[in-house]
Amino acid sequence: MPSTIGELTLTERMLLIRAVEDKLQELCLDGLAGDLHFSKGQEAISVGVCAALRETDYVVTHHRSIAHAIAKGVPLEPLLAEVLGKSNGMNGGLAGEMHMSYPARRFMFCWQLVGTCVPVAAGLAWAVKNYLKTDDVVVCFHGDAATANAQWHEGVNLAAVQKLPLLLVCENNHLAGNVREEHYQPVANVRKRMLGYGLTSFMVDGNNVVEVHEWAKEAIDLVRRERRPVMLECNTTRLGRHKQGQGDLRGKDEIAELALRDPLRGASVEDRLPFESQIDAIIGRYT
Amino acid sequence: MQLLEQPRPVPFQRNHKIRDAISFAIYQMMERDPSIHLFGEGCGVKVHYDAPNIERDFSDRVHTLPISEDGNVNFAVGASLLGVKPVVDIITADFLYRAMDSICNTAAKLNFVRPDQPPSTIVIRAEFLTGGPTTGQRPEALFCHIPGLDVVIPSTPRDAHGLMRNALETPGVTLFFEDREIRDDLLKETDCRIGGRLAVGYALERRNGNDKPDCTVVTYGLMRQVTEEVLGSTLNIDLIDLRSIYPIDWMAIRGSVRRSGKLLVIEPDVQYGGVGAEIAATIAEGQPGVRIKRLGGRRATIPATADQHRRMIPSVEEIVHAVNNW
Repeated sequence: MPSTIGELTLTERMLLIRAVEDKLQELCLDGLAGDLHFSKGQEAISVGVCAALRETDYVVTHHRSIAHAIAKGVPLEPLLAEVLGKSNGMNGGLAGEMHMSYPARRFMFCWQLVGTCVPVAAGLAWAVKNYLKTDDVVVCFHGDAATANAQWHEGVNLAAVQKLPLLLVCENNHLAGNVREEHYQPVANVRKRMLGYGLTSFMVDGNNVVEVHEWAKEAIDLVRRERRPVMLECNTTRLGRHKQGQGDLRGKDEIAELALRDPLRGASVEDRLPFESQIDAIIGRYT
Repeated sequence: MQLLEQPRPVPFQRNHKIRDAISFAIYQMMERDPSIHLFGEGCGVKVHYDAPNIERDFSDRVHTLPISEDGNVNFAVGASLLGVKPVVDIITADFLYRAMDSICNTAAKLNFVRPDQPPSTIVIRAEFLTGGPTTGQRPEALFCHIPGLDVVIPSTPRDAHGLMRNALETPGVTLFFEDREIRDDLLKETDCRIGGRLAVGYALERRNGNDKPDCTVVTYGLMRQVTEEVLGSTLNIDLIDLRSIYPIDWMAIRGSVRRSGKLLVIEPDVQYGGVGAEIAATIAEGQPGVRIKRLGGRRATIPATADQHRRMIPSVEEIVHAVNNW
């Protein structure tokens, strides 16, 4: 079992995330964990993007944060302890999955309120550029639903005006919780919103980890070189419910069709086994 | 130390002594601490007119942001994650409603969810004005409900300076109000003399009388000046200026009430559900038998003109009547 995320292939990283979240889902069903938010089906985005970052680059994200933390290299032990609310979690068990942070791996901030991560990421990018004065970049993951929120717009506007080194990664799963995009998205693609801010954007298949990774490298390179915000819109599928303890408005057929696009479709169970034993060992200490 | 007179490019009609004291504290702290940066809508313009010394010496640390109060506070939170100590100017207190999400949901919770990391220092500034339904409100009591926030309302230049120094020297999130209705011409010379850092949570006690005062008057901000003018120095009362409404200096209030047996709270904010209610209830619970009265603003929308607005906060007659009739 490799000790750091950097020693795994892209597919192995996605498998690790899937294995962690599947295990946590079991705990949710058994009442041993809260109503967690999982990224099942969206793992290619966090893995593809974070693999294109330097260790010193920063990540800010939203409430669906476990995949991002793992992909950015947060060790599993403090992460799982935090998600389970234990005092030796990475934030003393006080933050939980939706407010946790691990600055040692530059996993800086995640927040439950939709949209908040965008202006916070802009402020962080401001400090990278104007206070620390390094050439690191900040990646801000957000959902498509966040683009209906004022905080997204205020944050993107601030980043555009201040010309900040910020990569916005839109995980477009076409859902806002249990609400379909016809209720909040007036444009065909989220990236069209970037035109209003004079910003460059790219759109990729968010379920193809190689494609995400290649385009993320391009986008991050552009952000680092030109010190201005860029968006990478990743078209993806959330295969699980919005959060545990909640129903799903989609029927079985619809989810089965979406699952044809699962980035881990065809992955074998055996490939996950080494991760599962490691996860079981950690969780065994906390449950 | 006397407050430095600021050179003023434009003559201001408004009261400015408390503002100058705040600017002076910020200037002193910026000299010592390179991590302090000023952010806000029109921040550069404001510094240009109000604090030209800051503009002259720290122009690269004054940052004008758009009119996006909520986003601006979140932006400051992000900068604080890398060690910046932001002073965010919201300008008018009414605009705090725009930023309540970022103040109450983000900034106030930030240090709680990062117990093992260096705590952020964030100061959020806003001023009380008159001007109408959405330019004269006093939303300070709302913020006292939110754990993670200190709420500071100085009533003299000396306190404003000391408390701003403290806000910038001490980790945590401070909501710092500036009461622009406090009149410069009525400030005492001693109140304008600048001192050192002043820890938050300590009231200023002015004892006029002997060991057995006729009553205890607890107030803050504008009402402290009004009350002091009304009551003068002849009456045998204890006047307590809270200076911060969270945390509240309970020891000062309890000690005085123990001697006087009578408590009058005078607040400029809406009385209903306000700071006075909290003080009255706490004293009533802890010291039964104390006679308690409250005076405060009406729970009514503020009219446009300044003289109409003044009729909505406790009047001279009401204060005199309350003090003299138990």
